[in-house]
Amino acid sequence: MRKIVIGAVAVAMTMGLAACGSDDDGKDKGGDALDGKGKTLKVWIMEGTNPDAKPFFKELNAAFEKKTGAKVKVEYQQWATAQKKFTTAIEGGADQVPDVAEVGTTWVPQFAKTGALVDVTGDVKKAGLDSDLVEGLKDAGTLDGKQYGMPWYAGVRSIVYRKDIFEKHHLKAPTTWKELRDTAIALKKAEPGMTAFPVAGGAEMFTAPFVWGNGGQLAVEEGGKWKSAINSPEAVEGLKFYTDLALKDKVSPVKATTWLETDVAAEFTKGKVAMTIGGNWTPKALMAEAPELEGKLAAAPIPGKDGGLAKSFLGGSYLSTFNGHNKELAWEYVKLATTGEFATKWAEQTNYFPGTNSGVQAMADKKDPLVEPFAKQMIEGGATVPKSPAYGEIQATKVIVKMVQSILKGDMSVQEAADKAAEEMDAAFAKSE
Amino acid sequence: MEETLTAPAAPAPSKEPARSGRTESEKALRKKRRVAITRPWTLLAPSLVVLAGLLLWPLIQVGKLSLQSYEVKFGGGVGTWTGFDNYRALLSQDEFWKYVVANTVFFAVACVVLTIVLGTLVALLLNRLGTVWRLICGSAIMAAWAMPAVTGTQVWVWIFAPEDGIAPKLAGSLGLIDPATTNWFTERLPFYAIATLNVVHHGFPFVAITVLAGLVTIPKELYEAGMIDGANAWQRFWKITVPAIRPVFMVVGILSTIWDFKVFTQIFMMPGADSQEEMLNIGTYSYLKAFAADDYGTGAASAVILTLILLIITLVYIRTLFKQGEEDL
Repeated sequence: MRKIVIGAVAVAMTMGLAACGSDDDGKDKGGDALDGKGKTLKVWIMEGTNPDAKPFFKELNAAFEKKTGAKVKVEYQQWATAQKKFTTAIEGGADQVPDVAEVGTTWVPQFAKTGALVDVTGDVKKAGLDSDLVEGLKDAGTLDGKQYGMPWYAGVRSIVYRKDIFEKHHLKAPTTWKELRDTAIALKKAEPGMTAFPVAGGAEMFTAPFVWGNGGQLAVEEGGKWKSAINSPEAVEGLKFYTDLALKDKVSPVKATTWLETDVAAEFTKGKVAMTIGGNWTPKALMAEAPELEGKLAAAPIPGKDGGLAKSFLGGSYLSTFNGHNKELAWEYVKLATTGEFATKWAEQTNYFPGTNSGVQAMADKKDPLVEPFAKQMIEGGATVPKSPAYGEIQATKVIVKMVQSILKGDMSVQEAADKAAEEMDAAFAKSE
Repeated sequence: MEETLTAPAAPAPSKEPARSGRTESEKALRKKRRVAITRPWTLLAPSLVVLAGLLLWPLIQVGKLSLQSYEVKFGGGVGTWTGFDNYRALLSQDEFWKYVVANTVFFAVACVVLTIVLGTLVALLLNRLGTVWRLICGSAIMAAWAMPAVTGTQVWVWIFAPEDGIAPKLAGSLGLIDPATTNWFTERLPFYAIATLNVVHHGFPFVAITVLAGLVTIPKELYEAGMIDGANAWQRFWKITVPAIRPVFMVVGILSTIWDFKVFTQIFMMPGADSQEEMLNIGTYSYLKAFAADDYGTGAASAVILTLILLIITLVYIRTLFKQGEEDL
C-alpha cells in the first residue's frame, strides 16, 4: 500500500512537472511585421562590450518603437554563462528564445545546427546589404550558403606595444618573426623588470596568428568534411617559434603559462609588459584602467614569418534573429541596429569595428595611430576559426590552450602536443557529422 | 512499524458497539484506519512534493541522460538510447582513472582527514577558553566559514600567484624555490595542495562548531575519574572524548566526505583547471564533458558514478554507526 502511494505521488509529480514545460502556447503568432503595436521584442545583449550600453539601447529602442510601434526589452547576458543560457533557451523552443540576440561568431554554427536561428540570406540581399559586409565576418556566420544574422561589430588582434619603451631603446615595431624575436630579446635585456612578450598559455587567440603566419591552418575542409591541420609541418613550425619565445629565449616568464588575456591586460596596466598581442579594443581599455599610459601606446599588425601580415582571428558578434514568434519584427530591429547611424555609434562607443566595409573604412580614414593598424589587420589579415559546429566544442574544451600549456610545461614536444590536439579535433569533427 | 502499532490499537473502540450497533462501529473503524493512513501522507505531502521536484526529478533525468546520446535541438533535444555505452566508454578511459578518479579520491581523503583533525583541535581549544576568548575565536572561525567559496578561492589564488604571490615570494626568500621558474598551478601536487588548503580552511569551522557542541555535553566527572586513574591528556581524549561523541564524528565525517568528493568551485576557479587534464576531478570533469564538450551522456554518467560512490560510502558509515550503537547497548 505504502509503496503504491509513493509510486503514485512520484508519477503524479513527474507528470505535473513535465506538463509545466509545454503550456503557454504561442501568442502573437503571425501578424503584420511592421505593425508591432502591443508587441514586445525580447533582445539579449552581451554585457561588457560597451562600458555603458543603456543609453545606446534607450535611443535605439525609442527609434524602433517610433518606426514599428513595438516595445523592446533588452536583457544583458554574461559572456561566461551565455552559451549555457542560450542552449537552455533553444531547448525550450519558440517560447523561450529571445527574438533578437547578440551571438558570438564562433557560436553561430552551433546554434544554427539546432535550427534555432533564422536564415536571413534573402532579407540581406533584399535590403541591398550583402555587398558591403566585411568578407571574413560575413563568412563566419554563413553555413552552406545560408547567412544566420547580420554582422554587428568585430574586432581583431594585432601587436600592442609601449611606444615610450621602444623609443627609449631605439627599437621599432617588428615586421618579420626574426625581428619580433630580436626585439623581444632586446627588450628583455633592456627592461629586466618587464615581460618582453608574454606567451600566455591560456590565450587561444595569441597562438593562432603563429599558425596562420607560417601558412598553417587549424583545420581544413575537404569535400564538406573538416580535418585538423594543427599538426602539419607549417603549423608545428609556427607553434615551435611561438613557444620557444618562452622556453628558449625566456622573453616570457613561467607564470605566463596559466595566464589568460585578462591577466596579460592586468600586468600591462601595472606597466610590466612591453609588447603583446592585443585587441583593437585594448588600448582604450588599458588607458581607462591606467591613465598614465596615455600617449605611451602604439600598435602594429602581427607580422608573417618573412614579412607581410600574419592572419589574426577576426572575432565579433552577430545580431541574429531566432525562430521565435516575431521573426519579421525582429529582422527590422536587426537592420536598424547593424546599419547606418546606430552601427557607427555602437562601434564608436565600444572601440570595435562595424561589420560593414564602408564602416571600417570610415574609421580607418580618421588616421588614428591606435586604430589604423587594426583596420589594416582586419581588412587585409582577418581569419576565422573553422566553421564547423564542432569548433565551438573544440574551443570550449580548450584543445589549443591545452596543447600550448603542455608544451610550455615541458610535458610534451611541440609535435606530440600538436598530434594530440589534432586527434581531439578530429574526434570532435567526427562526432558532429 | 506504524501499521503494527495502529492495528492492535484499532480494536479498542469496539467495546462500545454493544450500544451503537455493529455497522457504525465498523464505519468508525474504517474511518480511523483511513485517517491513520492518509494523515501522515497528507502532512508529508508538501515536503515530498518539494523533494520530488527538486531532487527526484533531476535525479531521474540525469539517470536517463546517462543512458543516452543527447543532441540539443530547437524546441527540445533529442536523446537516443545507447544502453550502457557511456559508462563503458567512461570506465575504459585511461584519463578517467589516472586523473579524474585518482584526484577525486586522494583529494577527498586528504581534505576529510585534515578538516576533521583541524576542526577537532580547534574545538578542543575553544572548549578550554573562557567566554570572551571563545567568542573572539569563534567569530574569527565563522568568518572563514561565511566566506563564499568563489571569494575564498580568489584569495588563495592570489596568495599563490606564480612569481608575484605572497607564498612563492616567501618560499623564494627562504631559498626553497626559484619564484621566476615556478608555477604551482601547472604541477599536480602543488595544485591540489593549494586546493586542499582552500577547502580545509573553508570546511574546518563547521567541524569545530559541531564537535564543540558535542564536547560540552560530556560530563566533567568522566575526566575527573580519568585523571584520578592516572590517564594523561592523550588517553583521556581517546578513551573518554572520542567514544562519548562518536556519533558527532560520524555525522561530521559523512558530511565532509560528501562535500569533499564533489568539490567543484574551488577547483574550477583555479588557473589552468579547465585546460590541464591532470587537474580534473570528477566535478569539473562531468561539467566540462556535459557543457563544454556537449557530451551530456558522459557528463551525466560520471555524475551518476559520483552519486553511487557517495551512496556506498554513506551506507558504510551509517552501518558502522548503527553497529556501534548496538554494541554500546
